[in-house]
Amino acid sequence: MKILVINAGSSSLKYQLYNMTDESVLAKGLVERIGMDSSILTHKPAGKQEVTEVSEILEHITAIRKVLSMLTHEEHGVISSIEEIQAVGHRVVHGGESFKASALVDEAAKKEIRRLFDLAPLHNPASMMGIKAAETNMPGIPQVVVFDTAFHQTMPEKSYLYAIPRVLYNKYKVRRYGAHGTSHEYVSHAAAQFLDKPIEDLKIITCHIGNGASITAVQNGESIDTSMGMTPLEGLMMGTRSGDLDPAIVPYVMNKEELTVNEVNSMLNKHSGLLAISGISSDMREITEGMEKGEPHSTLAFDMYEYRLRKYIGSYAAAMNGVDVIVFTAGVGENSIVLRDRVLKQLTYLGVELDEELNKIRSGDPRRISTMNSKVEVLVIPTNEELVIARDTHRIVNAANSQ
Amino acid sequence: MNFKKIGVIGGGTMGQGIAEMLAAKGLDVMLVEKTPEKLEYSYDMIGTSLDKQLEKWGITLAEKKLILGRIQKVTHFAELSGCDMVIETITEDLEAKRQVFAQLDQVCPSHIILASNTSSLSLTELASSTMYPERVIGMHFIHPVSKVDLVEIIRGLKTSDNTFNETKRFVEEIVEKKGIMVFESPGFVSSRMICLLINEALHLLQEGVASPEDIDDAMRIGYSFQHGPLEMADRFGLDSVLAALERMFREFGELKYRPSIVIKKMVRAGQLGVKTGEGFFKYDKDGDRI
Repeated sequence: MKILVINAGSSSLKYQLYNMTDESVLAKGLVERIGMDSSILTHKPAGKQEVTEVSEILEHITAIRKVLSMLTHEEHGVISSIEEIQAVGHRVVHGGESFKASALVDEAAKKEIRRLFDLAPLHNPASMMGIKAAETNMPGIPQVVVFDTAFHQTMPEKSYLYAIPRVLYNKYKVRRYGAHGTSHEYVSHAAAQFLDKPIEDLKIITCHIGNGASITAVQNGESIDTSMGMTPLEGLMMGTRSGDLDPAIVPYVMNKEELTVNEVNSMLNKHSGLLAISGISSDMREITEGMEKGEPHSTLAFDMYEYRLRKYIGSYAAAMNGVDVIVFTAGVGENSIVLRDRVLKQLTYLGVELDEELNKIRSGDPRRISTMNSKVEVLVIPTNEELVIARDTHRIVNAANSQ
Repeated sequence: MNFKKIGVIGGGTMGQGIAEMLAAKGLDVMLVEKTPEKLEYSYDMIGTSLDKQLEKWGITLAEKKLILGRIQKVTHFAELSGCDMVIETITEDLEAKRQVFAQLDQVCPSHIILASNTSSLSLTELASSTMYPERVIGMHFIHPVSKVDLVEIIRGLKTSDNTFNETKRFVEEIVEKKGIMVFESPGFVSSRMICLLINEALHLLQEGVASPEDIDDAMRIGYSFQHGPLEMADRFGLDSVLAALERMFREFGELKYRPSIVIKKMVRAGQLGVKTGEGFFKYDKDGDRI
């Protein structure tokens, strides 16, 4: 079965075409600047030259039409006709409490995703545009939605509720939802597979550290707690997001600086984190460079970032009364040798023993970076959210077809 | 109508605010002024306004560049033919506005909505200078445009239901503000009420009932106004407040609209509020109270 995986943003759209017989990627690409007269489509067919096309793409329907014509293009294409695509999988950011797993797209699912616009006003409408665009261009082809929040729906009440008046949960569903669920799910399963142990027997802490960063405690193969909250602002310090802070700071600063709700939101989401402390960049690579040159603000930014991550690992070890595996994934987690080094060298109380040489190896494969004596297995596992979406789509569409 | 490109006529305070707000919402804007110099000045002022928001963390540097990049500078009406809507924001001068509408009527296809940001003039009268009065409507934004989420949508006598509905959709769905429907009447709802409040504050001051600070505190703290009526007058510009009161006084003929002698005196002295650094209170060049 060939499956098209779509990740639609408000003005961009990423895609990958999978052949599920061997889970190989036939092509992937990206449409940027949707809604403008100079949109850019970058198409990378496997084993062929990358192509870039600039044209006017005003909305998502046209974007998908362009992608499909690229996939079936005489020279750059990888399939001979659209009919070869047997299913479409979509990434959706927010599944609320309604979606505990991936689901087949039908009228009820669409209605529910629309109802959740309120919780993810920046993201769910874009996903919906992607779904509609695929429907228009490929009528009758089954579609599946895979949610960033679904994996965390197993969290118990004590993890997901905030200690604020209950009525806010009852009325507006104010609670922890978490994010990066697809990634945490993928790397925790890949870790168990790598160690050749049943996931149910492992206490795993997964650190998804990219531009956004979140950390999850996985026990019995289920997410029991995660650091992002109702929105992706809570938890770890990130590139431009503050992560945890005393909520009383918000009204205090709003009052002192006469800020509007929009301004304070923008401050915490776009002007904080590494960028705010370093004053130079939100990018961990530049922060690390600054630190190596002895630049004090970069050093502080790095120290805070590392310290907060380490505290979270400690708290999740406490949450599970122990930890068997720590996994690092995503841009920074997979690539920052120095961050892993600094975190892990101060987790010896948990029995972590880092193998400095293994930690320095750069690779695209899952790998162990702890020593043989380490009581905790520490792994680096490149994440692959698109593959999870393709697999879920494959499974759900097969099940629906066999009914 | 798919609203993508919006023309904004006039680069004064309101024109700048509207152009900036529309661009921040992701729309392409064609900003029109009479001369390249005026246009450059307006564009620079928008840049300054964005810098202030950057300082307050409201936007990022990348967002500032994107917003400015969406604003195109135009000096000829003919270039507006590709706009999906045009909003006129020039000074409150009926004859000048009528000329603008007559020109727009020639340039824009007959289904394109022509809106005026007038705060008190007659839409019916403006529309009468065009061949298609059914597409003329009032869209009264309130200063500062990016922060005040209310727009009065004013129907002239001949404004069609379709024009109104499309304008309402534009206001509520595209620029995400609350649109209230108002039928033509001097000062509509917002200006009529706020000018009367200001005028009453002026009477209190004139009668020596309370000091400017105390009058403002009474409303600000007592009734949760963001600014008191006198500071509001300073921020609107005392000349604009006076002009609005005089117009309403003329139209309604009722004494309650007669402008207080205090404001007349201050306008004659050129003490116009924030824009001159002094009105009832003093302000620095960023418009903050000293």
